[in-house]
Amino acid sequence: MLSLLLENIFFTWLGITSVSGPVYQITFIYGASLVCWMDCINISAARDRELTGDFSVVESTECLMELSELHRQTSATGNSYHGASQSVRLRSKSVASNQNGPTFNWGSSPTQGEVQNESGPFLDLRERPLPMHLKRAIREVQQMRVPVVTSWQSWQRSKAKSLSRFRAEAGGIFSYIILWRKALHKIGGHFGGGVQSYFMFLRFLVVLNFMSFMLIAAFVLIPSIVFKSTSTTNMTIGSTGQEKCKEYNPNPQGLVLFYQYFLDLLSGTGFMEYSYLFYGYYNDTVVDNSGFHYNLPLAYLLTSVFYFAFCLICIIARMGSTLHVAVATSSGAIGTYSKIMFTGWDYDCRGDQATKLKQKSIHYQLQVELEEQRLQTMTASLTLGQTVGLYSLRVFLMFLSFTFIVAAFFGIFEATTFSQGQVGASGILGLIWQYLPSIVITTGNFVVPLLCDQIARFEGYSPSTTIILALFRSVFLRMVSLGVLLFTLWSNITCFKDSQPCQLCQYNQKDYPCWETSVGQEMYKLTMFDFLITIAMLILVEFPRRLFVDHCSCALTRWVGRQEFLVPANVLGLVYGQTVVWTGALFCPLLPVINTLKFFLLFYCKKVTLFSNCCPPVKTFRSTTSTIFFLVVLLFGWGLALVAMIYSLAQIHPSQSCGPFRSLSTMWEIVPSTFYTLSLLTQSFLFYMGSQAFSIPLFVFSCVVLCYVAALAAVYGNSVNLLKAQLKLEGRDKQFLVKQIEELSQKIGVQMRDKADTFDSGAAH
Amino acid sequence: MGNKQTIFTDEQFEAYQDCTFFTRKEILRLHGRFHELAPHLVPMDYTNEPDIRLPPTLTVTMPELKENPFRQRIVEVFSEDGQGNLSFNDFVDMFSALCEMAPRELKAIYAFKIYDFNGDNFLCKEDLEKTLNRLTKGELTPEEVSLVCSKAIEEADLDGDSKLSFSDFENMISKAPDFLSTFHIRI
Repeated sequence: MLSLLLENIFFTWLGITSVSGPVYQITFIYGASLVCWMDCINISAARDRELTGDFSVVESTECLMELSELHRQTSATGNSYHGASQSVRLRSKSVASNQNGPTFNWGSSPTQGEVQNESGPFLDLRERPLPMHLKRAIREVQQMRVPVVTSWQSWQRSKAKSLSRFRAEAGGIFSYIILWRKALHKIGGHFGGGVQSYFMFLRFLVVLNFMSFMLIAAFVLIPSIVFKSTSTTNMTIGSTGQEKCKEYNPNPQGLVLFYQYFLDLLSGTGFMEYSYLFYGYYNDTVVDNSGFHYNLPLAYLLTSVFYFAFCLICIIARMGSTLHVAVATSSGAIGTYSKIMFTGWDYDCRGDQATKLKQKSIHYQLQVELEEQRLQTMTASLTLGQTVGLYSLRVFLMFLSFTFIVAAFFGIFEATTFSQGQVGASGILGLIWQYLPSIVITTGNFVVPLLCDQIARFEGYSPSTTIILALFRSVFLRMVSLGVLLFTLWSNITCFKDSQPCQLCQYNQKDYPCWETSVGQEMYKLTMFDFLITIAMLILVEFPRRLFVDHCSCALTRWVGRQEFLVPANVLGLVYGQTVVWTGALFCPLLPVINTLKFFLLFYCKKVTLFSNCCPPVKTFRSTTSTIFFLVVLLFGWGLALVAMIYSLAQIHPSQSCGPFRSLSTMWEIVPSTFYTLSLLTQSFLFYMGSQAFSIPLFVFSCVVLCYVAALAAVYGNSVNLLKAQLKLEGRDKQFLVKQIEELSQKIGVQMRDKADTFDSGAAH
Repeated sequence: MGNKQTIFTDEQFEAYQDCTFFTRKEILRLHGRFHELAPHLVPMDYTNEPDIRLPPTLTVTMPELKENPFRQRIVEVFSEDGQGNLSFNDFVDMFSALCEMAPRELKAIYAFKIYDFNGDNFLCKEDLEKTLNRLTKGELTPEEVSLVCSKAIEEADLDGDSKLSFSDFENMISKAPDFLSTFHIRI
């Protein structure tokens, strides 16, 4: 609710004109209430499942008594194992079993049960815990019964059968189409769920980028190519403004040296600058032939906006499916010990190495739990003085790590300003100056977490808290360093420091004749550098390390050890790359396809290094919570890119010498101006949708629904607790009754013996 | 003459496809694996339902089961006589219950039986200690083992009888999201 209000306020403030203000409001009210609604549905559905699960648990406590009876009976026959197992296996299930709780039909024999299942689908047979020969017997009986049903039902049944067979076959074929299915399986088998979730996340990003590229190609790239090649009667929006502002000459002059092409490829300058890669190449053509209208600037803008919305929807959809599971499991707060014991071992684990590592990992997990237990008892037993000392130490160390991070930011700021000042340099030195911001960011992202890890050793937190803190610090560092870079660029373009160069054209025309292309180039450089550094690390660090460790058996190698595949660090690298792409997509439309290729190659590179150089991580990452963590961090990146995009769209004057928006005062202006060309009816309808009279009742309605669903969830939670208490009581009742029965039977046994004795003694007389 | 030897009749294929999660191709492949384990014992022709059972010493040598600490228990649970002698029916049944399409309830039932070493339909402390020892291969000290087992029972026991019945186990499994993916053998 608070976030809804904050969003509303924030975007109203940002709302530019009286037209677009309410439009912002309405969009974000719809969006935010939709998200809240989906969350509430998820939570209530999870409670629902929990509740029905517990109902079936309550039901089956009645059969605990029956079970103990049956056990005593069958153990008397001496066939204890088989008898007991038969007694459980022969119970047939009812049809309506949900995911969480089987409702056993304890009272019925198999034939009775299967009569009840007559109307159910034949698939039920596969899900019964019966031995195979019994299943086949039941199936034969079922088949013999078939003539009893009507021909319509038998036709239905045969159709359902063939449909499920077809689906099974199709599933087999489909598995070939899904990207990298076998590779992921193999990785999961050898290295566990945590590493596999990293590769699944990578695959998700590849597909996301590819689909975004399709979107951009369809609406921006292909029309541009068509219009440039045909160049028929194309209107351009009337251009006003100073002549000096329109100077822009990106084409290289004179003879270009051969190696210059290579340098240009890496930094996006020279022959690459005036191409489809960057914003500056696109024209502000508005095609208005008979029957075919196409407004390219509008298409460019809306495609960028929809690109962001599309990515958001994909991320939330993916999060929704994992959140279901996470909410259902965290609501019970079931302990970790039992989970580790019963679900820790991966039955699909093969090979000697993998098994040993799995054992080590389980051992490590249990040790972590025991260690946390020990720490908890220790901190509970600290004196006041020691507690104060510990907390003050923690605060001091927090400040220290914060100082390191701020130092990194300052370094980035200086490097960017310096690099932007060295635009004219050429050759290798020029390339280095161009890449200086990327270099500083990467170094900072590498060095600062190392320092913070060393600091974390003295902080004395429990292991899980330490890991979470380290992750948060790294995320903060990466995202904000990118933010600092963007801020520096923007301050140079819009002249924060001195406003003299911006007087003429409302942006720094002297240094940036086409500033969007410059920003696009910067993002392009970041992407390329990221990729090159990954490859370089692979070749220069990881392979030599493996060779060193394998062939040299001194004490140093044992200390260094084989490379461990650190999932969090790698994931943050992916998120950073994706954030850069999102920020740069407005200015470099082909960046998504470059990123698709980059991530595609990265998959294979990482797979190769994983299997050749790395040992599986001992500190395992829980796969479901980790997926959610990755997606949350990705959302942070998305938010940062969104802020950057909105600022560029709404506040900065577009370059007057290049691009589709050269004649407008802000990029967003194209929307209102097109809006007014729509028919009056559409205009008034859209006005109404955006007005207060529509949005406020909708907002109030969403709040009411939200409160209702939250209340429902609270009620379910209460019911669950009550049922758990009832379960405990019933268990104790059962024990009490069993004890009473034993006492009574003992008494009766004694009495019978006495009677028999007196009878015998009487008979003996 | 010249065409493939029939291993199963169509009738048998239908029966297997209805009773397990496998397709025709997979059933043939399973037969091939079963045959590999003991080529002189297992006939190629199963059309007249021969009753050949393989002792556990043969089945636990399969690469899928070789490294599993619970391989003996798995084979015992799925065998008809409870001693681990698997017929082809039991073999197929075992891999069907452990495949990725088997539902959670079915897997929970069999998992419970596998971890129930003394077969009393309850997971008592001794069962848990045996499970833990097999999982960690003796890396933990006996006090740690005892502590972990009592904590596990404390967490999962709902009706307060200091052992885990099937419903306690099932309830705990439903809260563990990784169960379906870990209790899975690919063949």
